[in-house]
Amino acid sequence: MPRLSYAAPTSVPDAIKLLAGAAGLAKVMSGGTDLLVQLRSGRTSPELIVDTKKIPGIVGIRETESGFVIGAATSGAEIGEHAGLCAAYPGIVEATNLIGSTQVQGRASLAGNLCNASPAADSVPAVIASRGVAIVVGPNGQRSVPVEQIVTAPGRTSLAKGEFILEFHLPKPKAHQSDAYLRFIPRTEMDIAVVGCGVSVTLDDNGVCIDARVVLGAVAPTQVVVEAGAKALIGSKLDEAALAALDAAARAACNPINDKRGTIDFRVKVAGVMARRTAAIAFERAGAR
Amino acid sequence: MPTISIPSSLRRQFTGGMTQLEVEATTFRRLILELERRFPGLGNQVEESMAIAVDGEIFQDAYSLQLKAGSDIVLIPKIAGG
Amino acid sequence: MNFVANKSDLKVVGTRPVRPDGMDKVTGKAQFGADLTLAGTLVGKIKRSPHAHARIVAIDTSKALAIPGVKSVITAADIPDIPSEEAFVGEGPTNFRDQSLNCIARDKVLYEGHAVAAVAATSSAIADAALAAIEVTYEVLPHVIDVEAAMAEDAPILFEGMITQGVDPKPTKASNIVKKVAFGHGDWQAGMAEADVVVEGKYDTAAVHQAYIEPHACIASVNPDGQTTIFASSQGQFMIRQYTAKILGMDIADIRVTPAEIGGGFGGKTIVYIEPLAVAMSRQAGRPVKIVMTRDEVFRASGPTSGGTIEVKIGAKKDGTITGAYAMVKLQAGAFPGSPVAPACMCAFAMYDLKNVMAEGYDVVSNRAKVAAYRAPGAPISTFAVESVMDELAIKLGMDPIDLRMKNAAKQGTKASYGPVFPVIGFEEVLEAAKAHPHWTAPLGPNQGRGVATGFWFNIGGESSASVFVNEDGSVSVVSGSPDIGGSRASMAMMAAEVLGIPYEKVRPIIGDTAQIGITGVTGGSRVTFATGMATTQAAERAVDELKKRAAMIWDISPDAVDWKDGEAVPAGANAGGFDPLPLAAIALKAAKTGGPINAEVSINAQGAGAAFGAHIADVEVDPETGFVKILRYTAVQDVGRAIHPSYVEGQIQGGATQGIGWALNEEYIYDKNGRMDNAGFLDYRVPVASDLPMIEAVLVEVPNPRHPFGVRGVGEVPIIPPMAAIGNAIKAATGMRLVSLPMSPPKVRAAFDAAKG
Repeated sequence: MPRLSYAAPTSVPDAIKLLAGAAGLAKVMSGGTDLLVQLRSGRTSPELIVDTKKIPGIVGIRETESGFVIGAATSGAEIGEHAGLCAAYPGIVEATNLIGSTQVQGRASLAGNLCNASPAADSVPAVIASRGVAIVVGPNGQRSVPVEQIVTAPGRTSLAKGEFILEFHLPKPKAHQSDAYLRFIPRTEMDIAVVGCGVSVTLDDNGVCIDARVVLGAVAPTQVVVEAGAKALIGSKLDEAALAALDAAARAACNPINDKRGTIDFRVKVAGVMARRTAAIAFERAGAR
Repeated sequence: MPTISIPSSLRRQFTGGMTQLEVEATTFRRLILELERRFPGLGNQVEESMAIAVDGEIFQDAYSLQLKAGSDIVLIPKIAGG
Repeated sequence: MNFVANKSDLKVVGTRPVRPDGMDKVTGKAQFGADLTLAGTLVGKIKRSPHAHARIVAIDTSKALAIPGVKSVITAADIPDIPSEEAFVGEGPTNFRDQSLNCIARDKVLYEGHAVAAVAATSSAIADAALAAIEVTYEVLPHVIDVEAAMAEDAPILFEGMITQGVDPKPTKASNIVKKVAFGHGDWQAGMAEADVVVEGKYDTAAVHQAYIEPHACIASVNPDGQTTIFASSQGQFMIRQYTAKILGMDIADIRVTPAEIGGGFGGKTIVYIEPLAVAMSRQAGRPVKIVMTRDEVFRASGPTSGGTIEVKIGAKKDGTITGAYAMVKLQAGAFPGSPVAPACMCAFAMYDLKNVMAEGYDVVSNRAKVAAYRAPGAPISTFAVESVMDELAIKLGMDPIDLRMKNAAKQGTKASYGPVFPVIGFEEVLEAAKAHPHWTAPLGPNQGRGVATGFWFNIGGESSASVFVNEDGSVSVVSGSPDIGGSRASMAMMAAEVLGIPYEKVRPIIGDTAQIGITGVTGGSRVTFATGMATTQAAERAVDELKKRAAMIWDISPDAVDWKDGEAVPAGANAGGFDPLPLAAIALKAAKTGGPINAEVSINAQGAGAAFGAHIADVEVDPETGFVKILRYTAVQDVGRAIHPSYVEGQIQGGATQGIGWALNEEYIYDKNGRMDNAGFLDYRVPVASDLPMIEAVLVEVPNPRHPFGVRGVGEVPIIPPMAAIGNAIKAATGMRLVSLPMSPPKVRAAFDAAKG
């Protein structure tokens, strides 16, 4: 008969102790919007669930001199209502708010979306594009990890036993820096992304791109940072040539599978389309800042 | 005497290809008995699996339905729905 | 009752009162199939085949039986091995042995998900452990999924004894082709030869599910003396009783079935899956057993509708007159015979007045879930192809697509493509309303297009029972036997109130169980407002007759001298006497003295159901780079005969259109190479969500059916028929591309763009 324990530690050390000392499978629970579904379908059978929401600071958003600190278990709903974050990182906010549905948004978190390690996670390409950093705590102390180094394969992360994410850090955006996220789904809601694209751009005072990051989701086992895509944007005002180069770079970076959500051919083509459209929105927003 | 249209699914098996039949029957019940008498098996088949349209209105399982000469009378499969 | 022709004479019918079941449903109090729990209820679960086609070599249940808390384990060995027997149950042709084998497999499993055993235990976790402990040894066989593959010479055969019916000469070898059907008249080939223009096309559709939000659920309790009660989510309590009795070899008298509130059925709940298993286990365990299907089980192991291929050829003169029409429809039935290929062929051309027409088809088995009825079974599939080809024809002729339909429209006196001559029908009125609607001429922008398509459904009558009971306070109970899946109980109350002349609020409609009301056929086939409405109306009329008799007794005059007006007995004329009107409530008070309780019960086999037509206009915007199709505007015009409660009629039309839109754009069963369903959940089986659709405007055309006291025509099924072609035609208008394969999902639309570019 399966055994299941639940704990809600009220400090980081207590949480680490529980996770590091667990005999069988232990799962961290933020909002639980992936975990509970997997529990019910039998896809996962942990012996211990560690609910992190009672740890001080893990729920909530703080705006500081150097940028934003987002508690790992903060809900998408709270993220969507934070005026400062919406103004600074509209792409991360819109990406996060695409997860699931309005009901799911009441619980879904950035840490959960990241550590569930689905190739199609919506918030992850956007956070990576804006150079988000995860603060990981564990038995060996605290470390800062660029978000793109967390997911290693579908369903797998680089976190060691006993480790979990405490918060995310986002730098204060520069002048004329903004971001955007678009995804392609066959309906208007409630679908897993067939292609997801997060783009961050920084423009100079003349509207020329001086920095860019292009990240694709759902087209490879993990999120893909498209270096050639960034190169296509830097130095341009997003003219036709830059868009064509971006489209080609996005397509070339894909390594998708054929599955019930999309064929290889379709994903590759739509990756190019999404990259162009996302970049256009990011440019427009950056120019307006 | 009423004339009945026989659908293709029954023609081959029972009536040797005849598409129209003149019958003496004046009700659906009598029709079933007459068809069974003239083409053994056909009457039962009609009773179990066919509906009958008289001047465009469809009747299913209606023994007392009147059949008149001059009416357009067609046998069609019983209809279900969802 | 004389047929009421004037809407203005009606006081209740045609208004929009609040539905009686609304409060319970929106507050969560309504009792659905999974909501009832009796003392000692066990959790029932089903073990299912992981293989699409396999022989069952052995089943060992001993380890499961040994688990504490497991109170029953059954396999096919625990239920009778009944012979093959054809019958018409509920409202469809069936074979009792096939139904039994589909509930639980014997010797062979025929689809992934096919039930092989069931357990009942004291908790869900123990039931899961019991399922895991049952050891089944299979000999896996090659499988076949798609219809044309199943028809091929070398296809794996499901039934060794299956010889195709309806072909000449009779085949000597077994195949997967159950039968051939054909409907038509004239000489279609000669008709083609006469034509100035001929258009043809081959279309294919995927299997889709009715996708009711509420999974199948039931609770069954068998007493030691064999008396059995079942509470189930179902479209027909009498159908459950009949099937359970046949499959388990029980007397009908020993079974009482109560229909729960139902969260959708659309035809998918007109048969049984879990009830016989719950009863068999309750009998073994001596305790009630509840079975609730998971969503995964609903997809894999209940009854989607067929997918298949349709070839259509239509020939016409330059002026648009169709001279010949032909269709070949091949539908897969799933694991047992019974695809809706016959109605698919019968409906395909039914909208048109044709001298030369032939629609033929094949019913084919394959290793997938046995199909069940889905809202106008078969018709949406064949009509998708026909109405797409009609659109191509309109384009080739340079003719307005509605004008092309009008040129060939079926009307009263037309010999239908499936045989009978049409009586009063409303297709021309529907086309005129569509053409006159502002939607038809509204402007369109870039990448946008408009399509129109039409459809036909017979609608049926059948057995219905209704009772009217007059209460002591003058209120009235109306009990009928039809589970309410579309607002019908409100309509029953409205019709009774209309006849009795009392306010709707004084009438309480109840759905009776099998012991409380006379035999009533399933809720389906768009029959309830028609047939059960007819029974209800007749029962109310009889109640009025009785009320008049009682008034006569009170006044001490002849019953012939009493009329009924606005809910009161009145003297028939001055000669009858100067009595003040006697309201129903006053008569009710004296019921005991005037002869006893005032009730009326009517059971009928309703005949004369009115066929109905619809025409839908769809505007779409297509994104050429992603293939995404957005529905901008949607108008559904339909002849409803007479709308008893217009809101629920509109609701039926909107719901049917929505299901057709899902069928058109994104819904399909996807199988992996092992014949297992890959998308058995709502995440990847994509029904439309609310944000996918604009408000669907339902336009009610009323060409009353003279056979019904209020002119009712069935409405629930017609609206699912036109959407797929309406959208396909709109995509053609927007992009120049004809999509012939459903669903018209983004990858397919994008691929069509790429192919067009060369």
